[in-house]
Amino acid sequence: MTRALVAIRGVSQRFGADGADVVALDSIDLEIPDGQFVAVVGPSGCGKSTLLSLVAGLRLPSSGTVLCDGEPITAPMPRKVGMIFQEANLLPWLSAVDNVAFPLKLRRVAKAERLLAARRMLELTGLAGFEDRLPHQLSGGMKQRVAIARGLVQNPAVLLMDEPFASLDEQTRMVLGDELLRIWSETRKTVLFVTHSLNEAVYLADRVVVLSARPGRVVDDVSVDLPRPRSFAMTGGERFGALKDRIWQHIKSAERR
Amino acid sequence: MTWPERHPRLSQAVLYLGILAAWEILPRAGLVPRLFVPPLSEALGALVADHREYLGSLPTTFGEILVSYVIVCGGGIGLGQLVGSSATAQRMLLPVLRSAYAVPLVVLYPVMMVWFGLGSQSKIAFASIYAFIPTMLTAVAGVGALSPALAETARAFGATRAQQILYIALPASLPSIVAALRLGGALVIVGVIVAQMLGAAEGLGFLITRHRTLLNSPGVYAGIVLVLLITGLHELLLRGLERKVAAYRQGA
Repeated sequence: MTRALVAIRGVSQRFGADGADVVALDSIDLEIPDGQFVAVVGPSGCGKSTLLSLVAGLRLPSSGTVLCDGEPITAPMPRKVGMIFQEANLLPWLSAVDNVAFPLKLRRVAKAERLLAARRMLELTGLAGFEDRLPHQLSGGMKQRVAIARGLVQNPAVLLMDEPFASLDEQTRMVLGDELLRIWSETRKTVLFVTHSLNEAVYLADRVVVLSARPGRVVDDVSVDLPRPRSFAMTGGERFGALKDRIWQHIKSAERR
Repeated sequence: MTWPERHPRLSQAVLYLGILAAWEILPRAGLVPRLFVPPLSEALGALVADHREYLGSLPTTFGEILVSYVIVCGGGIGLGQLVGSSATAQRMLLPVLRSAYAVPLVVLYPVMMVWFGLGSQSKIAFASIYAFIPTMLTAVAGVGALSPALAETARAFGATRAQQILYIALPASLPSIVAALRLGGALVIVGVIVAQMLGAAEGLGFLITRHRTLLNSPGVYAGIVLVLLITGLHELLLRGLERKVAAYRQGA
């Protein structure tokens, strides 16, 4: 039996003290095999980002367990799980290469070694030649590339992406989406990708998990049977439209409530 | 690109030299009455002739500046960090502090002379109160600049609490601390000199006032030259500190 790399079992998350509980996530069960690209979509406020922060170890679930490689996640495990946020969140006083090397510095990896690894990651994300730029000298898309390089620098098995392209313009978003697929096909990470864009979800992922409005429950688990490599032409195709429509029906009914 | 853009250092030097030359030439040409502004050479001459007196005033002046500096920057920056890290404290205190900032505190100096006497204590008290609030407000602004998103990012990459302070909080607040030091220092120098001018028995400000009452303009300007040197020295020290801070942030 193939074991899931990331397993989310009976996870619920409640916020707020005593009587005024808000249930953000309600008994979520998800098994994500190694190397799969999973998109998580749902109406706003459905707890998609909360789900990601549980896998990141940034918070503990109220009940249930999250496992990575069979091990329960109780704190951030940066060597197994890399995180990319909506904003690049780079340290403004560090150059691109130093930002990418930052997770290694936290682990006290020797300077030469961590700079070498960081340079390699910047090359992978298409930023060779920009190593010494400070964040304010980079465009929004380039900053997010630096953040992706930083998420990959420890060679984690899992990459968590929390609406990573949401604050970029449409064109940059499309270019970075293709770049992400190229990087994914080269590195074969397991990706958990939260987005509010149905196009993005269907275009990028092997599988789209649809959450309901609060309390967040899994209402559909759609397997995207489009061939890879994906191309822009597919987005106008019948199959793409059908998948998107199926997901949209869930979201529409949830947003109307 | 214009000439000053291409040669910033050289054009700066030219600007300084121009000001000094004007200081020398305009009074000599009779364009500015010598009683208002004596030529630079006369001011420097007075400084050399009475160097004992002027140098003798420096230990008191420096001492008063130093003690006030420690009070203002230690207390102001420390308290600023505390207030800055609490939203409630900011809401409660900032409006009060901002309106207190607008009060011309020099009106308090006579009261302080009554409380603390003619000696150093009244100068230190005045300079400290004068500089405290703006220094603290600068420090508060710096704490607010720290983004919680950066702290969470560091946490996701496994930063311990100590690493978050060392690599995120400290480098993020250092520029505002240096800015607070710069402002605090400049205001403390002003505060001490003004207090000495208003009522003292020694110190640089006292010398300036004494020469002024005797209508000895070169003597007044000799004192002003020394004040300029003190502020210039302060600026130089802070630029050195700024470079160190920048290097720490990039290399730490």
